[in-house]
Order: sequence, then structure tokens, then C-alpha cells
Amino acid sequence: MAGVQVANVSKSFGTDSERTTVLDNVSMTINKGEFVSVIGPSGCGKSTLLKVIAGLIKADDGVVTVDGNTVTAATKDKLIGLVPQSPALLPWRTVLDNVSLPLTVNRRGNAGRKMRDPKELLSSFGLGQALEKYPAQLSGGMQQRAAIARAFVFDPSVLLMDEPFSALDEMNRDSQRLGLLEFWQSNRKTVLFVTHSVPEAIMLSDRIIVMAAHPGRIAEVIDVNLPRPRDADVYATDEFRDLEGAVRSTLRSVMEKKHV
Amino acid sequence: MSETHTINAQLPNTRFPAAESPGSAPPRSVPARALRWTRWRSWAPPAITFAVAAALWQVLAVNNPYVIPTLNAVWGSLAGEPGMYWANLLVTLQEVVIGAGAGILFGFLLAVLMAELQIMERAIMPLIVVVMVTPVVAIAPALVVAFGFGMMPKYIVTALVVFFPMLVNSLAGLRDVDVRALDVMHTLHASRWEIFRDLRFPGCMPFVFAGLRIALPLAIVGAAVAEFVAAGQQAGLGSLVTIAAAQANLPVTWASIALLCLMGVALVSVLALVRKRVLWWSDGETVAR
Repeated sequence: MAGVQVANVSKSFGTDSERTTVLDNVSMTINKGEFVSVIGPSGCGKSTLLKVIAGLIKADDGVVTVDGNTVTAATKDKLIGLVPQSPALLPWRTVLDNVSLPLTVNRRGNAGRKMRDPKELLSSFGLGQALEKYPAQLSGGMQQRAAIARAFVFDPSVLLMDEPFSALDEMNRDSQRLGLLEFWQSNRKTVLFVTHSVPEAIMLSDRIIVMAAHPGRIAEVIDVNLPRPRDADVYATDEFRDLEGAVRSTLRSVMEKKHV
Repeated sequence: MSETHTINAQLPNTRFPAAESPGSAPPRSVPARALRWTRWRSWAPPAITFAVAAALWQVLAVNNPYVIPTLNAVWGSLAGEPGMYWANLLVTLQEVVIGAGAGILFGFLLAVLMAELQIMERAIMPLIVVVMVTPVVAIAPALVVAFGFGMMPKYIVTALVVFFPMLVNSLAGLRDVDVRALDVMHTLHASRWEIFRDLRFPGCMPFVFAGLRIALPLAIVGAAVAEFVAAGQQAGLGSLVTIAAAQANLPVTWASIALLCLMGVALVSVLALVRKRVLWWSDGETVAR
């Protein structure tokens, strides 16, 4: 089965007396080539869910498969590309060497796949002039783009992005998000995108999963039927505004329920 | 304005755009006179301090001829027997280089072992702390008894002094990994070795150099203390200090002390140069994490 399947995953942290359930029986599917965003209030476990799929956190219960493999097998085969919340580039490596890093580790996982040329990839990300620069010489937006290129370079089948643009200012954010949209539309990957920005989720996604907190669970799934390919004009359409209203009211009800 | 240009050329890593790095002011062109003033301001204050200290010393020395020697007497002693001083300096330097080299290497390797295997830290660290709180001055005579009057006890004492700051700093550095970069490596199923090679080892270098900055001056202390214990049995500046002091030969005593001090300054300067070459990336603002 291609794509990502999450079945009845639960996860809690802490000791018996102060145990908090971060994920409560979460099930979801991301089809191959589908862009799914997860949105929700803080503490709803959206980052934890992403980390469980990335194999960084072990779930207490439930099963996750990536392209039909267990998560461990998927990481061994380098099927998962991770874009963390911060660029997390290595300051002593040039941009080119940072992006080439995934090609040089776990070489066994490289077998039988075609890697992208890091230079070409960086050029298509608008970083062609910055190959030999060091991360500290780049702006925050460029650093984040390099981090996304690092996740694309080994051609994984699933991309997990954890609020990749959250550290950027709104204008920068918008241009980075449009850049990602454009690149993804010509390189369809299965994507799980964690965000707390409603317009961002609508703009990029095929489906939006709204999560509720305490305990973290899926509250609602909203389909985004805006035609593709999309561009910045989508913001101005009525459909976009309707969707934005729907997502926001869902989020509001999710937040209110928390206080009951 | 060629001077301004050379200054710009020395800063290849100027962060940009300026708006995103509040710490670094954009390079401005400075009038030559202001520039001369700036330079003067950087070397003149310490130079004045040194001059005042030397003058005070000289006044004290002239009035207390049996307590401290005049600067010209110290210089006269150095200039009179350069070969003797040089030979002793080389012996101490050898102790420092070999002893500190061994201590640095052993401290770092043990830090790697502890960073990779938690149980090793729990097993070994208490013993190391016990050894380290024991004063070196007390251990040195015992080591001389155990290893004789040769170079070996000096190497061991020097290594011992260097070992602990290296171990502690390296361990802190190896643990100070960017967790998000670590996450990326884990989703790639990078091996332990690959994580060490690409992430932990280069990343711990700022800590290692901070450790060296503490350890190298300590290495000279270690070598000198070890020489005190077995003074006269082997050459070395520390040995020279003890013998000359026993004979109330003030110029030789203080000339040897001055050479020990210069050796420390030289080691720390070399370290600073190497650090600048190796660790250019960790200077100034660090990369946004």
C-alpha cells in the first residue's frame, strides 16, 4: 500500500500520576501523492504525530506504515524526508554540502533509486548562487529552502514537514509557501505538513486534518477542492474564503470544547 | 581608503542581509584619522598598564634588592646564558607537549566513549572525580617515587592536569547536538558512526577548543610542579626556579618564571590562531536553530 497509514495510534508521556495523553487513538491515511496538512491548537499532538511517522518517537499503541513498510524499514530504505521546524543546517558545511548530506549517509538505502543532482535542485529552489555559501550567510527564508531541498534530494516517497515556515515573517512565509507549492506541483510527493496557519494549510493541501487537544485527537477532516495547479490568485477566490471560514470555525469549536 | 578595503576583505563571512542579523553592523567607510585612533585605542591601554606595572616593579626592586631583582638584572641573566635557558625551556616544552598531548587525546577519547555509551559515564565518572579532586601537588611526589626521576612522572602529572578539563568539555560538546539535525539523521537511518562523523565530531569542536584554552596553561603548571618535586634531577624551567630560589639567585629565578610565562602566552596564541582557522563558523552569531 502506497502512502502513509496511521491506525489507532496512541501516545502518552509522563508517569502514572501525571500522565498526559498526547495522541488518543488517531487513525488517518495519506494517499500516494497527496498533500495533507495537520492543524490544531498547541498541545494537540500534531508534532508528536509527525514524529511518530518519522520514527523519532515510538507510539504506545497502534500501527504506522509508510508505503506498506514499518517505519523502521522505511527509514532504512530512506523513504522518508524530514523538514524540521528550524532549518537545522550544519554551520560548518556549505549549502551544497548540507544538501548533499542525505546522499552520503546510509548509502545502503541509496540502492535502486535515482538521486537528484543537488546543484540542479538548489538552482530550482533559487539557491543556484548560494551553493558555496555557508548557512550563516543566508537569510532565514533561504536557509529553510535549503532544508527543504535537503529533504527532496534523495527522492523520498514521503515528506514530513513540521511547521517549516513558522520562524519566518509573514511576507517571507508567503513567498516560501508559494515556492514550495510550485515545486511540489511538479514533483508530487506524499506530504504531511504540520502548520498553525489556516491560509497556508488551504493553499497547499488536498485535505486538512483538524486536531483537538487534551487528549490529542482528530476532530475533523476538511477536503480542499480548489483546482490545481494553484498560485497566489487562489487567495482572492470565494472558494478560498469559504474554506477559510469553515476551517476557522472548526478550530474555534475545537478550542471551546477544550474548556468545557 | 585602502585600509577600509582590507578590513572588508578580512570578513568574508559578513552576515547578510543586515536586517536579519542585528548583531553585525554593516561595514562603514571610516575616515583614516578615525581608523588610526581606533587602532591606537586597541593597543595603547594594555601597553600603558604593562609600562606602569614594569615601572612599579622597578621601583620596588631598587628599594628591596634582596626580595625581587631589577628588570635589567633579569634581562642580563637571560642575555648572558641564552643556551642554558633554551636547553631548560626545551625540556619543559617537551614535557608539556607530550604530557598534554596524551592527556588531550585520552580525555577526548574517553569523552567519546562516555557520550556513546551512557553506562560508561556512570561507571567511570565517579572514579575520575575522586582522582581529580586530589591535589596534583600531592600526587606528584608519589609519582616520582613510583616512576623515578626521569621524564615519565612529569608526563603523567601534565597529562593528569590536562585530562579533566578536556574530558568535561568534550563530553559537553558531544552532547550539545542540534536535536533537529539529529532528527534528520535519524529519519535517514544514519549509523552511529555517520552521526559522529558528520554531526557530533565537528559540532563539539567549539567546546574542545574552550577546553584546550583551559588545559594548555594548566599543562605548564603540571610540568612545573612535577619538576619542583624532583628538582635538580632533570633539567627544566621549574627545576631551575627551585634551585635558583634555594640559592637566593633572584635574577635566574625570575628569568625562569618569565620564560614559563612566555611559554604559556605562546601556547595560548598558537591555539587562538588554530581556532580561528578551524572554528571560523562558530564565531560571531550562531546560525538560527
